[in-house]
Amino acid sequence: MRMVLAMGVLGFCALSIGCGPAATPPAAGPSAEGKAFLLSAEPMGAKGVKQLKVDAKDGDEIVAEGRIGGDAKPWIEGQAAFLVVDKSLSPCAGDEGCPTPWDYCCSTNELPECKAIVKFVDASDKPLATDARKLLGVKELQTVVVRGKAKRDEAGNLTVLATGIFVRN
Amino acid sequence: MFRLRLLPWEYGVRNLLRRPARSALTLGALSTVVLLVFVVVAFIRGLESSLAVSGQPNVVLVYSINAAEDIENSAIPARSASLLSASLEGVEKQFGVTRISPELYVGTRISLRENDPPMFGIVRGVSHAAPLVRRQVQVTEGHWPGPGEVIVGKLVAAKLSCQASDLEIGKTIRFDGREWKIAGHFAANGAAFESEIWVPLTDFQNALKRQDLSLVAIGMADGSSPSDVELFCKERYDLELQAIGEVKYYASLQKHYQPVRMLGWLVVLLVAGAGVFAGLNTMYGSVMGRVRELATLQAVGYRRRAIVASLIQEAVLLSTSASLVAAVVAIFVINGTAVRFTMGAFALRVDSVAILVGCGTGLLLGVFGAIPPAWKAMQHSVVDGLKAV
Repeated sequence: MRMVLAMGVLGFCALSIGCGPAATPPAAGPSAEGKAFLLSAEPMGAKGVKQLKVDAKDGDEIVAEGRIGGDAKPWIEGQAAFLVVDKSLSPCAGDEGCPTPWDYCCSTNELPECKAIVKFVDASDKPLATDARKLLGVKELQTVVVRGKAKRDEAGNLTVLATGIFVRN
Repeated sequence: MFRLRLLPWEYGVRNLLRRPARSALTLGALSTVVLLVFVVVAFIRGLESSLAVSGQPNVVLVYSINAAEDIENSAIPARSASLLSASLEGVEKQFGVTRISPELYVGTRISLRENDPPMFGIVRGVSHAAPLVRRQVQVTEGHWPGPGEVIVGKLVAAKLSCQASDLEIGKTIRFDGREWKIAGHFAANGAAFESEIWVPLTDFQNALKRQDLSLVAIGMADGSSPSDVELFCKERYDLELQAIGEVKYYASLQKHYQPVRMLGWLVVLLVAGAGVFAGLNTMYGSVMGRVRELATLQAVGYRRRAIVASLIQEAVLLSTSASLVAAVVAIFVINGTAVRFTMGAFALRVDSVAILVGCGTGLLLGVFGAIPPAWKAMQHSVVDGLKAV
């Protein structure tokens, strides 16, 4: 009887494991290659993504500030690029039952105006083939300030071709 | 000096033949149990295999960001295909043709004749570029569909619960307010496409009064990766597209069917458990009826372990035969049988894993079914055993 009880408890424990929301693996520190992109001090003149989408022209040198997010998966697998969202937009609160608050699913209407992509590029403007999380040790919802060049397209999308990053928190 | 003197091999075999009715009944019961295990494992393997072979490593699917993981809910602008073709560098080309397939993927009601009750089926509107990207697809009979024509996959009859003869070339089927002539049949090496009906894209768009697409499938050149397309979609977020490698997409569907697979394995365990109890019951009956014989064997000098080994040998012989019978039935009757499920249909698959699990279960039934009753029988003293009637 005790054996059956013990088996039951063990079975329950085994079933319970993995039923919670998926946890985000903690970002490791920046790689040796990525340290070259880390800025020791926050660059001056940072503007929010929303403002930059109005002001910045193609080829302008810019300093952009934003929170990593804007999609359930703001990363590009195997590439040094990620989405950032203007800080005026708040991520979904925990009590709204959102498993990935960095996707801003509670503010989908405002999201397109507040979103931009940051790409760390080589000399020929090609994105580096290392995952941004490994390269820079960043994770979702961190506030970052990136320095780089603006790339605009005819639809008004903003891409920051980044050369430096400062992680605020 | 310590060598165990076993009973002759033939003794166990002859014992089985001495009680043919009991042996036949046990064989039948064990075969049924092992066959049930085969059916469940073939179901799980068929489902897994259908989703696994559907994805190709160099193909990327681009569809609406609002569709979550369900391509059927996706609607993207018709110009997406040409836009992707013009914007992406790593797309595979052959003889100047770009491997980009615009597709309209819809679940719809299909009837074979005008007054027949409609059945749910999957229709994919495709262009001539589709076979360049979906390389598993082969037209096995007939020809590529022209205007007003369709080609049907080899599992469509199972999906629509109709006879294969209903879908012969030249016959017609009805969906979305039109009658379509069957121009050919295709196979796709077990992929999910086999439960679909393919129709010319523009005809299908006209029939549905839709000008959009569900997805664009892109064949990437060597050295390119799905992340190139993913990066484009994230950069052009005004288009609200998302990209995913086809292998990853079907792997995510596999995750979706994880509870079904878990349930399947649980059924295997339960069936095997029930089999062990049935085997135990039979073996108890068989061994307890032979107490006198077993005591005699002890009296003439055979040790208990040798007698237990002989009883296990009998049970294993029986369960191995049952496994073989079940395996033969599974391979020739069950293997390839089409089964309907939400996404389409797939064929039950009796592969090496199914044979290993099925026959392994059979063997374990023999061993574990025989040990307890044999051990119990050995607890009697020789004198009591010889007196037993």
